[in-house]
Amino acid sequence: MSSGGGRRTSSTGSTIQQPRSASRISDDQIIDLVSKLRDVLPEIRNHSSDRVSASKVLQETCSHIKRLHREVDDLSERLSQLLSTIDANSAEAAIIRSLIRQ
Amino acid sequence: MKTPSNSIKRRFALKFLRTLVRIRKSTHQPSPSQSSTWEIRRRAQRIKLAAYSSMARTVGSKRAWSRALTMKLRAAMGNRPWSMIKQESKKMTRRKLIAKRKRHMEKDLNSGVQELRRLVPGGQWMDPLSLMQETAHFLRCLETQVRVMRSIVAEGEGFPC
Repeated sequence: MSSGGGRRTSSTGSTIQQPRSASRISDDQIIDLVSKLRDVLPEIRNHSSDRVSASKVLQETCSHIKRLHREVDDLSERLSQLLSTIDANSAEAAIIRSLIRQ
Repeated sequence: MKTPSNSIKRRFALKFLRTLVRIRKSTHQPSPSQSSTWEIRRRAQRIKLAAYSSMARTVGSKRAWSRALTMKLRAAMGNRPWSMIKQESKKMTRRKLIAKRKRHMEKDLNSGVQELRRLVPGGQWMDPLSLMQETAHFLRCLETQVRVMRSIVAEGEGFPC
């Protein structure tokens, strides 16, 4: 883990300030992070550049998580609607079909 | 990178669907018009909790985020307020844990990691590298959860997914 004071330029080309009190996220960790999250985030994958900044990755990750939570909210509402309108047989059939499709 | 497998998808779907059946049994009205908007909203909340809890239970205690989420959900479902400190204090004393979290929060100013720590369950207690690993796994599981929920809704609403 890198430590020490002053400014350094990382391999991504962005400047990272290293505080004296030892490591913030180091360059290696940032590269590791980018490669891990790049596979998971479609937005970053499309840009497919090694020079995407760590903060952009973090931003995209946070937006993505929040977006997914909102979608869970919406899908839960719709499921609740469905449970009230669907009759027992159709509900069971739909559930079995869902299971088969997974 | 460790990513959730298809078995997670299947096991989650099974748990979640079972819970849905249970919720339906306990909340179903004989005639649809009797389900008020308020009841529907309230059941939507239960369904939402069931989704997160089913995923947390599927992943089990293997990941820090699923452990933290399980504790959080227990609190949300009405048990006594949970304490992350209690959960993690098997490994570290209370004082060290709080100091650790303080270190994380201080280092993370202006780096955008702070928000991520809030979004990932248990994120405030993780070192930066673990945080990234947990985030990747958490994201994949969350996406799986959404995909399964989407396909259930599609079946119910009668459209192909």
